[in-house]
Amino acid sequence: MSQPLLKVVNLKKHFPVRGGMFSRVLARVKAVDGVSFELGKQRTLGLVGESGCGKSTLGRTVLRLHEPTAGQIFLDGDDICTLDREALKQRRRDMQIIYQDPYASLSPRRLIGQTIQEPLDVHKIGTPEERKKRVEELLDIVGLRKQVLSRYPHEFSGGQRQRIGIARALALNPSFIVADEPVSALDVSVQSQVLNVISRLQREHGIAFLFISHDLAVIQHVSDDVGVMYLGKLVEYSDSGSLYRDPKHPYTRALMSAIPIPDVRQRAKRIVLAGDIPSPMNPPSGCPFHTRCAEAMPKCSQVVPPRVNAGSAEKPHYVSCHLYEYSPEAPA
Amino acid sequence: MSAPTNAATSAATLPDEHHESIWGKAIYKLRRDRAGMVGFAIVMAYFIAASGVWLGIWGTHWSDVEGPKWSPMSSEFWFGTNIIGQDIFQRAIYSTKTAFEIGLVVAVLSTLIGAVLGALAGFFSGTWIDAIILWIKGVLDSIPFYLFVAAVAFALQDNPYAMHVAMISTFWTTTGRLVRGEVIKLRNFEFVEAAKAIGVPQITIIFRHILPNTFHILLVQATIVFVAAIKSEVILSFLGLGVQDGVSWGLMISESTLEVLAGYFNNFIWASVLLFGLVMAFNMFSDALQDALDPKKVAAP
Amino acid sequence: MTDEVAKTLLSVRNLVVEFDTRFGPVRAVDDISFDIFPNETVGIVGESGCGKTVTGLSLLRLVPSPPGRIVQGSIILNGNDLVQLPENDMAQLRGDDISMIFQEPMTALNPVLSLGTQMTDVLRQHRKMTKREARDVAIDMLAKVGIPVPEKRIDEYPHELSGGMRQRVMIAMALSCNPKLLVADEPTTALDVTTQAQVLEQIVELQEEFHMAVILITHDLGVIAETCQRAIVMYCGNIVETGTVEDLFERPRHPYTKGLLESIPRLRDERIAELPIIPGMVPDLLSLPAGCRFADRCKYAQADCLQTPPRLESSGDTGSGVACYHPLN
Repeated sequence: MSQPLLKVVNLKKHFPVRGGMFSRVLARVKAVDGVSFELGKQRTLGLVGESGCGKSTLGRTVLRLHEPTAGQIFLDGDDICTLDREALKQRRRDMQIIYQDPYASLSPRRLIGQTIQEPLDVHKIGTPEERKKRVEELLDIVGLRKQVLSRYPHEFSGGQRQRIGIARALALNPSFIVADEPVSALDVSVQSQVLNVISRLQREHGIAFLFISHDLAVIQHVSDDVGVMYLGKLVEYSDSGSLYRDPKHPYTRALMSAIPIPDVRQRAKRIVLAGDIPSPMNPPSGCPFHTRCAEAMPKCSQVVPPRVNAGSAEKPHYVSCHLYEYSPEAPA
Repeated sequence: MSAPTNAATSAATLPDEHHESIWGKAIYKLRRDRAGMVGFAIVMAYFIAASGVWLGIWGTHWSDVEGPKWSPMSSEFWFGTNIIGQDIFQRAIYSTKTAFEIGLVVAVLSTLIGAVLGALAGFFSGTWIDAIILWIKGVLDSIPFYLFVAAVAFALQDNPYAMHVAMISTFWTTTGRLVRGEVIKLRNFEFVEAAKAIGVPQITIIFRHILPNTFHILLVQATIVFVAAIKSEVILSFLGLGVQDGVSWGLMISESTLEVLAGYFNNFIWASVLLFGLVMAFNMFSDALQDALDPKKVAAP
Repeated sequence: MTDEVAKTLLSVRNLVVEFDTRFGPVRAVDDISFDIFPNETVGIVGESGCGKTVTGLSLLRLVPSPPGRIVQGSIILNGNDLVQLPENDMAQLRGDDISMIFQEPMTALNPVLSLGTQMTDVLRQHRKMTKREARDVAIDMLAKVGIPVPEKRIDEYPHELSGGMRQRVMIAMALSCNPKLLVADEPTTALDVTTQAQVLEQIVELQEEFHMAVILITHDLGVIAETCQRAIVMYCGNIVETGTVEDLFERPRHPYTKGLLESIPRLRDERIAELPIIPGMVPDLLSLPAGCRFADRCKYAQADCLQTPPRLESSGDTGSGVACYHPLN
């Protein structure tokens, strides 16, 4: 059995909230609270959820841009949590990130050329001429012209800046990229352009992606596997086809029904959730979703549902919900 | 497969004609600010005067006793002479050089120190680095300025730069505080995290990525400190702690206190007018500069 | 003629809004005309820079000026031309006859004033009431927008509420004087999908209850499909197509509308390799082409499209129209 590119085991990231005279810890924001998944080589895992679910924090923690509170992260079999600073800097070449906000993710006072070339400079890859050539190659891959190199970020539109961010992330030839809502801040007609760039990277360059988004349609377009997050926990996790054909978790179902569909014939019956998303500082007991779940049972407020495979051994479909606990469905 | 890319690329025209730089926008706004432009023109006039003194073109006879004491304004002595018989005009012109010297040295150095310490404090905010820098800032801010200068002057035993040292040591704190605040804000932007993700070392992140985004603050602060330095020098001259080996408006004013009592105002008036002129003009320019560089004031949505 | 006048609630004709930039004046809204009828929900849809937000702001004369200004056109509401109205009279209308809600509820609500204060301020501004009466009306409004325990929450501050709640408070404030027209500028864009669903439902319910017309400004075609009866599509300061939502989605006539509908990522049965795209970018408002502004991105463009910009041609009295020399369908 081939080793997954990325394996995350019971990852937790808690942020202490300090206050009071001596900066005591008043509470903990459990942004990521025990998440496990695997990412295969050249595969894309989509992480979907709404604000406060922890998906962005998860993406950054996996790259150790936040230090994990607990858990393990295996990149090609090596636990990167145990690496020292120098070794980590080396491993960074394999894992990169592209951001949601095209206006904040590029250094405003640096030329585009400097920004894209920086990773090569920092890791001292090749000669200066070779680096310049590589930068031009990268521009080609993302579909930008050479003239952009001598300009500043503010001269470009959101879509162009995202492409620049992608070029920067590709510079070190990473084996996987964390894409944190890369198209959410873009205009609709530009979203598809940038998504096509990403699709091409998947197909032609074999880059694995951890693709984070709140948009189920976008996730479906790019992902092989999908994980649904709610309040720091992964509530459903399966391959993309199974998830969209047969969403099992009540939250996933509600999420799917809530998307406004640009189709007049399908005014879908909407599952409107009651209440608001609870604060990650004070998550509900038991299953985090029970406060808004139409199918909640008494057990749901007391016991955290374990992860169960409601699919088959070859095509697992993991769900953390008491509805599936005792009767895993027969494989389709 | 690559057709969509080409279509996207070729049609992705860059706005070649309307290449807009950050400074370009600022200069445009500045040019439309009448008060600011007038201020700038006046400051330039002073600067030319000071340059002339530096180059030895004029103002060289500031210490020569050339004429009778208290001679009135005439074609020979444009501003008249002072109690010793020195040409007030020469002294006043020479003082522009003094003013710019103090202003520039103090402004540049205190801004540099404020930028560096502020950036370090902001980036490492919450840690001991920040704590120490804040503590130093707090201490310096609590010492009454003129007391501090007196102490420094004493410690440096009449070194002509005692005054500069004292001013720089205290004026950097405001710049430092502003930079620190801005850096704390910028630190959370994604481009900083992106640099970290690439493996850029922290010091490089601070000085190459973050600090350049504070230039608008630094520029405005430098102009404010320039004016503060000139004004402080006046008081220092009264205390005898000012310029030692030259003449300044402050010195002239303090010298003229006796003359005024005797009814001779030329020294006092001209020194004050020139001082006031530069300070006023620089303030007007500084305000306009601040408005022009304010990132929140956008021209169009 | 009088029938038509009686029917329309709001009538915009030849509106032009300019902004000063260092390269010269730019027309964010360039000669648009449309009507709004009572009790209907109309969407104004387009991407950034198309002028939809400026249009919304113009209706309430809230365009920041300088650098912007209305240089031409009329906005007739109840027989009054809002463009010509003196500011004092306009202030009377705002909140009373015509109201607006914005995208970012945190910045639209004053963080240092309690909800009660802000709401009663609005009420007492436009109606003669005592503080007590205003407070009662405010509590009532909060209940109507679905805020639980409104008599307690009315004394809370904006930061104590979630984004969805704040948005609802803003809606409550906007509706408290029962305006005939509500302009909603991207009201749910900053909200989560599940909260968005709640807030949109709320707007639809309230619209029925209060008998008002709603102009919903958004870039999200899905939201338009779900909540609006008619829609206006804007591109680069112009209106390129208007019509009922059914017509727009099933039989789009303008190539931009069609391209937009095709390129949105949506749930499909099969995963596709590449999404259809509209190639190129929105043109720079400072260097607009001579002809149709969409021509250089349009796969149906022909020679006449490049000469002069097409005008909006209306057909029928449903207010549908398209600005294209070679409309589809």
